[in-house]
Amino acid sequence: MKAEALKGHLDGMLLAALEDGPRHGYAVIEHLRTASGGQLDLPTGTIYPALHRLERAGLVSGSWSVTGGRRRRSYVLTDAGREALGGRRADWRAFAAVVSAVLEAEPWPNPA
Amino acid sequence: MAEPRVIRDYLAALDIRLPADIVGELADGLDETYRHHLAAGLDQPSAARAALAEFGDADQIAAAFTRTAPARRAARALLGAGPVVGGCWAAALIAARAWTWPVPPLIPLMVAACLTIVIVLLVTAAFCDRYRTSRRAAGTALIGVVLVDVTLPGTLVVPGLLRGWLLLLAAGLSLARAVFAAGAWRRIHAA
Repeated sequence: MKAEALKGHLDGMLLAALEDGPRHGYAVIEHLRTASGGQLDLPTGTIYPALHRLERAGLVSGSWSVTGGRRRRSYVLTDAGREALGGRRADWRAFAAVVSAVLEAEPWPNPA
Repeated sequence: MAEPRVIRDYLAALDIRLPADIVGELADGLDETYRHHLAAGLDQPSAARAALAEFGDADQIAAAFTRTAPARRAARALLGAGPVVGGCWAAALIAARAWTWPVPPLIPLMVAACLTIVIVLLVTAAFCDRYRTSRRAAGTALIGVVLVDVTLPGTLVVPGLLRGWLLLLAAGLSLARAVFAAGAWRRIHAA
């Protein structure tokens, strides 16, 4: 699945990736890959700007730590982020229900 | 673990484009990606190539950071607010018949020159895809905005020219914009 198809949904997926607890950038990417069964084909480097954007929006909080002698930045969902994730889930369910209803509707009967 | 040269070159390319903290975070992620491919059985050159391909082009990453950077957002906000504040000043100065004021002609020229420079810098910060250029342009422009927005009303107070609701409204908008610009400058330099 290409990045263009995910426009508008990346933020929600990043928030969902942090729902279980703090993760650093690569762990977020690994989670997206695993949770999607390897279907997500995102340039890894684009995840980091998105995480920074979510941080500035107050939806995630980033902090530095030292792991194995290396500095590492981890992100955790804020209360506002958790609320935003709930909203995005609700929006997605409503959207998916509408599109599914249209795409999977019974075909019109043939007048002939 | 020593990184292959292609990874060092890639990080050096990012280092030219982005602040050290961001490059440090990207370097950690790139190293993890490289180790992931090594653990999957690739040799070092192949793992490095796979990690770089997965990470994406350095210019694209730098541009993505620039698009969401506080410098660009502040510059765009100020460009959006510019016509409102400027329009209010224009209306106020026309209503007050400012051309009859005993002001040396050099002052309006200096204000106009300063505003032009600020606008050019803001446009650069708002649309340039280079992080450092955008940040430098925004930082300088924001100082200019504060200077103009504090100096302009300030020069009218002492000679008693700041009269009438339109001029007071324009001065108020200018001061509010100066406060916003000062806060944005602080955020840009804290990022």
